[in-house]
Amino acid sequence: MHDLDQSTFATSNRVDDRNVFKRSDESLIRKAVQGDEQAWQQLVGRYQAALYYYGVRLLGDAEDARDLLQDVLMVVCRNLAEFRGDSSFKTWLFGIANYRAIDLLRKRRPHDDVDDLHEQLADEAACVSQQYSGLQEQLLVQKLLLTLPVEQRMVLELKFYQQFTFDEIATQLAISSNTVKSRFYSALDKMKVQLEAHDVGQSTYFC
Amino acid sequence: MSDSPRIFADFVEGRITEAQCRQLLGADAEWLARVDTCLRLQRVAKAPNYDMVPYVDTQSMFRAQFGQRPARQSDFWPKLAVACSVFAMVLSISPLKLHIRDGSIAVHWNQQDPQAAEQQVTTMLANYRIEQQEYLQKQLQLTQQQQASQLILLKDYLTETEQKNRRSDMIELVEYLNSQRQADWQYWQDHAQPSQARLDYSTAYPSKRSQ
Repeated sequence: MHDLDQSTFATSNRVDDRNVFKRSDESLIRKAVQGDEQAWQQLVGRYQAALYYYGVRLLGDAEDARDLLQDVLMVVCRNLAEFRGDSSFKTWLFGIANYRAIDLLRKRRPHDDVDDLHEQLADEAACVSQQYSGLQEQLLVQKLLLTLPVEQRMVLELKFYQQFTFDEIATQLAISSNTVKSRFYSALDKMKVQLEAHDVGQSTYFC
Repeated sequence: MSDSPRIFADFVEGRITEAQCRQLLGADAEWLARVDTCLRLQRVAKAPNYDMVPYVDTQSMFRAQFGQRPARQSDFWPKLAVACSVFAMVLSISPLKLHIRDGSIAVHWNQQDPQAAEQQVTTMLANYRIEQQEYLQKQLQLTQQQQASQLILLKDYLTETEQKNRRSDMIELVEYLNSQRQADWQYWQDHAQPSQARLDYSTAYPSKRSQ
């Protein structure tokens, strides 16, 4: 159990044995820049799903997530030759994604405010008994994430779902590592309060 | 200043395990609660996502940026490897022979002469016949040996049985003789002994008899 938890936090810097025969991102980028379309498709295939789910969780809307995915891939394609390899490709990619996501959130439609999200959450909590508990919790966490300020939400997303280190997150968001940690702790505390409130609500609902 | 933030950061970055983190945090309830929340969120984040990823036309994106260029010639070595494998396979299943003699390699089609093949078949058949004869001979010897050993066993058995029978006959004879002797002795006691006694008495006292 401990090892499992440990591995989840430590995967970003670990060399996976299964990837020994996989082409590195850098090699694919080199080939793509030379005009190898297959290398580009392979590169996209590696991160497309992660980017889309990142958008869904961060923006709370599948349409917006699709737009974000398209937008980020377009930017990446245009700037692929500019990639210098100072950080990993994933860090660079999510740096772009973070920037575009914040842009999208600024322009977003007014109906996606926090009250609406709370209502959605209450509706889904009502049918908890009919749903698989793991899936329910996944859905609940996603909804609760949407109630956090976008800066904190982004840090949790990048830490838990994308498994970046604090320094990598700091690089992506162009802030200090201490600020990242501070946002992370605040977000955790808020999530704890909300999760506890939800757990209490659930127990009274069942009573 | 408390060490808890550093310990917690080490845990989140995967530098220490959960157990080590809990041990180091001791009774710091605030940070222990953060560990719990962290583990809960981490568990949720690990759950797979089954939503379909929408299609994005990355091909057009790429062609717009880099143009449609002919695909580069792939490396020659995979083709060479396949060719070598095919050659090896053909070599192993066909009469094609590869000879290395005096530092030179020669490949030739080793088709067999029909007469040589017939000769080979005849030789193999002769060998087979000899093998079969040897086998039958061996089987015959084995059977004879078995029969001989069985006869010896039967003879031993019969001899022993005969000896047992003779012994029992002899015992019966001795018993019979003993019983005869016993009967004779009984007869003598019953008849001969009183007669003898009377005879002895008359001899000892003749006067008394005459009176």
